[in-house]
Amino acid sequence: MTRLKLYTAIYVVLFVSATVQVLVEQAGIAYETALAVILALSFVKAVIVAGYYQHLRWEPRSLTYLMGIGLLAVLALTVAATYSITP
Amino acid sequence: MTDDPTDGPTAPTDDGAASSGETDHDAERARADGGALEVADGHAQDEHAMPPTSSLKRWFVTTNHKDVGLLYIATSLSFLMLGGVLALLMRAQLWVPRAPGTGPLSAMAYNQAVSVHGLVMVFWFLSPFAFGFANYVVPLQMGAKDLAFPRLNALSYWLYLSSGVLLFVSFFQGGTFAGGWTMYAPLNLPAFTPSVGGSAAVLALMLFVASVTVSSVNFLTTMHRMRAEGLTLRRLPLFSWTILLTVWMMLFAFAALLAALLLLSADRLLGTTYFAVNGANGALLWTHLFWFFGHPEVYIVFFPALGVMAEVFQTFTGRRIVGRKWFIAAMVLVALQSFIVWMHHMFLTSINLEIKTLFMATTIGISLPFDLMVFSLIYTMVKGKIRFKTPFLFSFGGLLLFILGGITGVFLGAVVLDYEFRGTYWVVAHFHYVMVGGVTALIGGLYYWYPKMVGRMYDEFLGKVHFALYFVGFNLLYFPMFVAWETPRRVFDYDPGMTAWHQMATVGAVVLGASFLVMIYNLVTSAYRGEVADEDPWNYVTTAEWAVSSPPPLENFPGLPSYARGTLEFLGGSSSALKTVDDDAPAAADRGTGAATDGGAPATLDGSEALAASAHTAEEVQAGEDHHASHASVWPFLVGVGALLLLLGLSGFTNATWSEGAMGTAHQASTGVGAVVTFGALVGMAREQFVGPSGPYGESWPFEKVSNMKTGMWIFLVSDVVLFGAFIGAYVFLRFSSGWIAWEPIPDNVVPGLINTYLLLTSSFTVILALEAAERESRGGVVASLVATVVLGLGFLGNKAIEWEHLFTDKGIWIDSGIRESTFFVTTGLHAAHVVVGLLITLYLILRAWNGAYLDDAAPVEHFGLYWHFVDIVWLFLFPLFYIL
Repeated sequence: MTRLKLYTAIYVVLFVSATVQVLVEQAGIAYETALAVILALSFVKAVIVAGYYQHLRWEPRSLTYLMGIGLLAVLALTVAATYSITP
Repeated sequence: MTDDPTDGPTAPTDDGAASSGETDHDAERARADGGALEVADGHAQDEHAMPPTSSLKRWFVTTNHKDVGLLYIATSLSFLMLGGVLALLMRAQLWVPRAPGTGPLSAMAYNQAVSVHGLVMVFWFLSPFAFGFANYVVPLQMGAKDLAFPRLNALSYWLYLSSGVLLFVSFFQGGTFAGGWTMYAPLNLPAFTPSVGGSAAVLALMLFVASVTVSSVNFLTTMHRMRAEGLTLRRLPLFSWTILLTVWMMLFAFAALLAALLLLSADRLLGTTYFAVNGANGALLWTHLFWFFGHPEVYIVFFPALGVMAEVFQTFTGRRIVGRKWFIAAMVLVALQSFIVWMHHMFLTSINLEIKTLFMATTIGISLPFDLMVFSLIYTMVKGKIRFKTPFLFSFGGLLLFILGGITGVFLGAVVLDYEFRGTYWVVAHFHYVMVGGVTALIGGLYYWYPKMVGRMYDEFLGKVHFALYFVGFNLLYFPMFVAWETPRRVFDYDPGMTAWHQMATVGAVVLGASFLVMIYNLVTSAYRGEVADEDPWNYVTTAEWAVSSPPPLENFPGLPSYARGTLEFLGGSSSALKTVDDDAPAAADRGTGAATDGGAPATLDGSEALAASAHTAEEVQAGEDHHASHASVWPFLVGVGALLLLLGLSGFTNATWSEGAMGTAHQASTGVGAVVTFGALVGMAREQFVGPSGPYGESWPFEKVSNMKTGMWIFLVSDVVLFGAFIGAYVFLRFSSGWIAWEPIPDNVVPGLINTYLLLTSSFTVILALEAAERESRGGVVASLVATVVLGLGFLGNKAIEWEHLFTDKGIWIDSGIRESTFFVTTGLHAAHVVVGLLITLYLILRAWNGAYLDDAAPVEHFGLYWHFVDIVWLFLFPLFYIL
């Protein structure tokens, strides 16, 4: 029943991908590309922590939807507010 | 892991970190030190260490939802008086147009009166008044013995009272906040509103938000997890529905307000530059954060009033509401839409035309479901047979006023018209018709539930007199404002040609204020002399609060409530039945059937038949009856006292310096004492053995398989997502405003941030190890993992301290150096504060784990882990945003 091996593997993945984020920035690729890659990595890591360490994967889906709604709300705020700026 | 041991239908649930299963022992001990027993009403179940209602002590220690409801109602009515007196002062000043310095109020006093009148009425009166009813009625309507976390409910109340006291005290700290209730930037900064009282008012509002957040988590957990068997959401009474939607909106909206207020407090107290005049779009940022909260807030204060209207209309027309399903669907739509209309408050800011047009469209969209609700209420009256009792008069009056308020609001939702109307009395008149229209219905609710709460009837004649005075006064006060709409808002000088209208309004204000004296006289004298009310004084009622005595016993029901057979039955107790508002059932109070078969008319049922229809077993029913819940705890009160002292002290800290002289010393002392009392009381609350209500009771959609505590934790985390999201959103907004690419990260070196990422990820891993160890019942493993977590967390904070020290001394930057610096230190600082809180909890867990806790029940370790991993997730975004990109 224990998931110790899985948790350890996830820990290694998270550790490595944090390092990769820094390496991407230093790789000298275009800023926009680096931005997209680095933020995508952050989202992936967040999903992994929520899914496995907070074990949402094994919880009723309602909790995942709950967090999704919260995320959607702040994304709406951020995107709409930023879009509203008159250049 | 998902099979939480507290998930059984009658297992005890606890709202503290120190959960314990020793219920009998706890009840014994509680009895021994809890003072006199409740003997007055002779209910055997009431012997749970609660002082009687006549004892003053009871009101400081109570956690019972009905007591807390009464406290909310009494306190909110006191704040109505405060807000009302301020309004009368304003109306006196407006009797004739005046030059500054003339009239009863000085210019600054008028500004304070305007600002605090708005703050008090919106925050400290309207919502808490509605939540008095919510506290009292919702658990009864849904068949719960109490809220899921009774002590947190008491805590919400005490934080609310403390915040209100702090706001009141702010008048005497060199004058309170004088920048309007919307606290627009940059007027909200010490440069323009320098008084200590100004900071105190901001902090008071922050404390109020804390109270609301605790309350939202509690109500959401309760309403989703603790409904009686058979009481699906489809069948939930409409008042409970409105409260459910209100708390959902509160959860998200108030988290955004908390972010705004934390940033404002950082600006005022620490001297950061989020909203500074020369900053990057700070004033616009404030309006976004404030109105992202502020527009849902309109429905947060109005929905409970809508719920009262729905209940009262059903009872006093004897007709189930027309189109109940559609009514509910319309409310759900409004609750969702309320989060996408906020920029219609900002048509005269610098936002671009495209977004204005979009928000004009969404604003028109939100009026459509309201039309449906209004027609549904009107058609209910047409189809029913109306009894013009006081509660109905107020509810009906509230509907009329709301219709006028709503229609006049449509003008403001149109961009071009708003250019003309913005900042005039048209706006003032419009939102008073909406908001005070809501108050009108809530007053109806007060008369409606008065016999339930007090056990005696109010005087019907005086009630009608109150309504007549109220309605005339209301319209005499607010209608002339439409006519004199060209009066500029918030100032006391106006065109002399409009004097007559303003004098009418002032007379109306006096009449409206005086009408409340009639109400208070009526309600106070009737509490002693009124006719005794039985369980259902109205007839044709459809909800469960009328199936129990007035007032209800401490634990509400004579048995386990169940709707398994479509009507309310009490399993195991002396049964009586009540028709439900079952969506598919015929109107509960159809005129044709007569009073004998509906309302609370008790009908003896065969207990064994009811039990057979229920999914509950006889053992569960028995366990529920044997369950001795606690009802008294002094810790919530003490947390409230500590929080008041703490924030009162902090108000003396402006731009990173304490105020001068003896007052400065007093402020520092108050901060220190307040911090110690708050912390001590929280520890005391965690250590206290407190047995919550038994539950769940049958319906827990959509969290059937999640315990109360875990549900509450997740709901809290959602509000924290919005809080951090708003902080990050503020950063994105400001960075975009000042040019994204040119904005370099503050730390010149990415390595400290990367090391901290490693440390935090590793600490998440050790918390997972602690949970695994607890499930393997290894005491040493739990302690070692948690100690490792603390070491890693301290390493994180130490590394951050070194980094900040380097930035401060070697690079010579400070939090007020610029907006880049402000966002870096405030956002990562908020995260660090979360780490500190997490470490304090970890230390507490270590102490308990050392004594062998968590081996039989790993849930507290798991719940702490949810929080800790969340803090980790936040860092996963902060690190790239503030160090790499």
